[in-house]
Amino acid sequence: MAKNLSGDLTVASANRLADGVVVFLDDKGHWTRHLEQAALARDKRASELLLARARAESFSVVDPFLVAVAEDEQGDLEPISLREKIRVSGLTFEAIAADAVRYA
Amino acid sequence: MPLYREGSLQPVDATGPAPLPLEEWLKAPMQAVSLANTDQPDALSMRLSRLKLVVLHFPKFTDGRAYSQARLLRGRMGYRGELRATGAVLRDQLPFLLRCGFDSFESDQPGFGVALARARSLFSVVYQGAEDNRATVALLRLRQHRQPAELAAD
Amino acid sequence: MPDTHFYHYDKYDRTLLSERVEQFRDQVRRRLAGELTEEQFKPLRLTNGLYLQLHAYMLRIAIPYGTLSSRQLRQLAAIARKYDKGYGHFTTRQNLQLNWIRLEDAPDAVAMLAEVDMHSIQTSGNVVRNTTADHFAGAAADEIEDPRVWCEIVRQWSTLHPEFSFLPRKFKIAITGSPNDRAAVRIHDVGLRLWRNEQGETGFEVIVGGGLGRTPMIGKTVRAFLPKDEMLAYLEAVLRVYNRYGRRDNLFKARIKILVHEIGIEKMREEVEAEYAAIKDSALKLDPQTIEAIAAHFAPPPLPHRPAISGEVERLKLEEPDFALWLKSNTAPHKLAGYRIVTASLKPAGAPPGDASSVQMEGVADIADAYSQSEVRVSHEQNLVLPHVAVEDLPAVYRALAGLGFAEANVGKITDIIACPGLDYCALANARSIPVAQRISNHFANLARQHDIGDLKVKISGCINACGHHHVGHIGILGVDKNGVELYQISLGGDVDFGKTALGDIIGPAVAADRIVEAVDALVRTYLDRREEGERFVDAYRRIGVEPFKESVYAAV
Ligand code: SF4
Repeated sequence: MAKNLSGDLTVASANRLADGVVVFLDDKGHWTRHLEQAALARDKRASELLLARARAESFSVVDPFLVAVAEDEQGDLEPISLREKIRVSGLTFEAIAADAVRYA
Repeated sequence: MPLYREGSLQPVDATGPAPLPLEEWLKAPMQAVSLANTDQPDALSMRLSRLKLVVLHFPKFTDGRAYSQARLLRGRMGYRGELRATGAVLRDQLPFLLRCGFDSFESDQPGFGVALARARSLFSVVYQGAEDNRATVALLRLRQHRQPAELAAD
Repeated sequence: MPDTHFYHYDKYDRTLLSERVEQFRDQVRRRLAGELTEEQFKPLRLTNGLYLQLHAYMLRIAIPYGTLSSRQLRQLAAIARKYDKGYGHFTTRQNLQLNWIRLEDAPDAVAMLAEVDMHSIQTSGNVVRNTTADHFAGAAADEIEDPRVWCEIVRQWSTLHPEFSFLPRKFKIAITGSPNDRAAVRIHDVGLRLWRNEQGETGFEVIVGGGLGRTPMIGKTVRAFLPKDEMLAYLEAVLRVYNRYGRRDNLFKARIKILVHEIGIEKMREEVEAEYAAIKDSALKLDPQTIEAIAAHFAPPPLPHRPAISGEVERLKLEEPDFALWLKSNTAPHKLAGYRIVTASLKPAGAPPGDASSVQMEGVADIADAYSQSEVRVSHEQNLVLPHVAVEDLPAVYRALAGLGFAEANVGKITDIIACPGLDYCALANARSIPVAQRISNHFANLARQHDIGDLKVKISGCINACGHHHVGHIGILGVDKNGVELYQISLGGDVDFGKTALGDIIGPAVAADRIVEAVDALVRTYLDRREEGERFVDAYRRIGVEPFKESVYAAV
C-alpha cells in the first residue's frame, strides 16, 4: 500500500532534449532514465529546491517539472497521476511490432 | 537594441529623427513613425511620401500581425522608405521579414548580422509573390513553358 | 514518365524542399548546441512537424490531399523502420505520425522524406496546415472535378508564406469536388466545395469558421460562388483579415471561427470582400496555363477497359459471406464501370485505429503496384484506400489485404472507429483513446452483427482538442479527467455529411472507463429495438430523440 498519496512527495522529471526520452533528476544532479534513482523531495520546501535545481541543470533536457509520487513500504516510487504512470511505464496497450502483420 | 541593415555584419548606428508613436505623429507628422501592430497602416497614407522611416512592432516573435502591415505599406500603399522591425526579432524570422519588405532590424540575438547576410540565400525559390519582387515558381514555370514556343516562332 | 498520376515535383519543388531540410538541420544543430532556447526553437520544430509528446518526439508527415504513390508509402515504411519503432499512425488529417523520433535524427528523417518528394512542413504550428481532400478524389463516381488540383495549388501558395507564418492559431483548409462531401468541409477553418452553377460553370463555395475543439462550430458560407482562378486571391484575403484581426490574447479564442462568431459572418464577409477586391486582379489571379499545367499532373491513369461483372466475384460472394460483406462495406463505385474503389481497413478487431507497421505499409504498396496503378490514399477516417481496382481483381485484392489483416469488412460500421492517440502518447491528453477503441472494437467484432447494426460512426478524442472528431461522431466519446480518474463523455447525433453536418448532443454525466463498452452496447440495443426499416442509427436518433438512449445508457452503467 502506498504510504503517501497527498502529493507531498515529488521527483523532478523532463524529456531529454536529444531524443525526447523521459528522465528524472538524481541526487548528483544527473538526469537518469530510472525513476528509482530519482532525487526525492519530501516536503514543499524541498520540492521547490528540487525544481530550481532541475531548471539549473536543464541544458540537456526540455522544460523540467515536478511529478507527484507515492512511496510504498519497500521505498519504491510510483507516480500518482495516470499521465505520469504512462510516462514512466510506456503504452498501456501493445503496439504493433515493425515486422508484424499482427492482426492477420 | 542593436540595429542591423543588409550589407553590414555589424550593428549600424541609427540616424535620423526618432520615430513617434502614431498618435503623436498624427498631430505632428515628422519623417519617422512607429506603429503598434494593431494600428491601421492606412493612417499614414496622407503623408506617406514624406516618411523616411516606419517602425513595426513584434511584441512576441510569434505575433505576426506586422507582416501584414508591412505588406500593406509596401505593396498596397507604395511606401518606399525604411521599414524597420523591432521587438522580438529573431534570425529565423529573417526570410519572412525580408520577403514582406522590411529592410532594417533591431535585434539583440547573437549572430544576427551574420544570419542577415545569409538570409536571402536560404531559399532560392519562392512559391508566392511578396514585397521582394522575386519571380515566383509559377512565373518561372510559365516562362520555361513559353520560351520554346517563342523561339520556334522567331 | 512520372510514376504517379498526381502531382510530381519539378526542380523548383525539390530545390525548395532540400533547402528547407538544410535550414531545419541548422536549427536543430543550434538547439542542441544551446544557441536556441526551447521557447525559440519550439515554433521552428513545430512548423517542421516535430512535437514533443509524453515519451518521445513525434514527427507528423504531410500526405498532401491524402494521395501517395506505392514508392512513397514504401519510403514511409523505411523511415519508420530506420528512425522509429517500425510503425506509424494515420491521422484524421491525412497525415502519418511517427511516435518515437529522436530530435538528433529528425533532419535525416525529413531528408529521407524529401527523397520521395514528401515533407513535414507546416503539419503543426500556427500556420496553414496540410490541405485535405476527398480521399476518393479522381476516382469517385459522383465527382464533379478533381479537388486535388486545387489542393496542390494551395499547398504551393501556403508553403513558407512570408505573411502567414505566425498566425494567431493553426489554419486548416479542406477541399471537396463531390456533392457527397467526404472531406468534411464544414468543420474546417476554410472549406472549399466545388460545384456547378446554373450557367454550367464550376466554382467554389467558400465556407469559413468551422472547426471542432473546445468551441465546436459549423462553418458559414462567406462566398456562394467563387471563380476558380480567384481562389488564391480569396484565400489570401481571408488569411490577411484573420492575421490582422484574429484574437491573440487567449489561445482558446484564437481560431478564425471565434473571429467569425464575434464579428458575425456579414462583417467577416465585408472585410474579406474588401480585401479581396483590392488584390483579385493582382498576380494572385491564377494563370490558365498554370492551372492547366497542374491539372495535367492529375490526369486519370490510363485504365484499360475491364468487365463490370466478374464470374469469380459472383461465385465468391455466395461461397464466402465475409467476402460478400467486404464488397458491400469496403468497396465503393468508381467512375469507370469495370473498377471499384477499395478501402483497406486499418481497424481490424482490437487494433489501435489507424496504426500500420512497416511490413503492413509495404504490403499495401505491393498490392497497389499489382492492382491499383501504384496509388494509395489516406482517408480522414484513418484507413488506406486503393482507388483503382478492377472488379475482376477484387478477390485477389481481398485475399492480399486479408494477409495483412486489413480486409475487415467494417468500413463505416461500428468498429471502424476514429480515435486520436490519447493519453498513451499525447502530451495534451486527459484520458486514453486507443484502449477504449480496442475494447469497443473487440466487443462488436462479429461482422454479421456489425452489418446488421449498419452505418455507425464512433469517434473518440482524448481531450477537448477533438483530434478524434468526437463532436461529429454518430456516437462521440470524449475523454475527461476528473481528479485523476479517466471518464468518458458521450454525445450523440453528430454528422459530417454535407448538408447534414451537425454537432452531437452530450447525453449526460461522463461514464467510467470500465463501463464504456456497456454504454455503447446499450445505445446500440436501443437503436436496434426502435429502428424503422432502413433507418440508420443517427436517423433513428433524430427521430426519437435523446431520451430513450439516455435512459438505457444510465441503466446499464
Ligand atoms: S484530441 Fe487531445 S488527446 Fe487526442 S490527440 Fe488531440 S490533443 Fe491529444
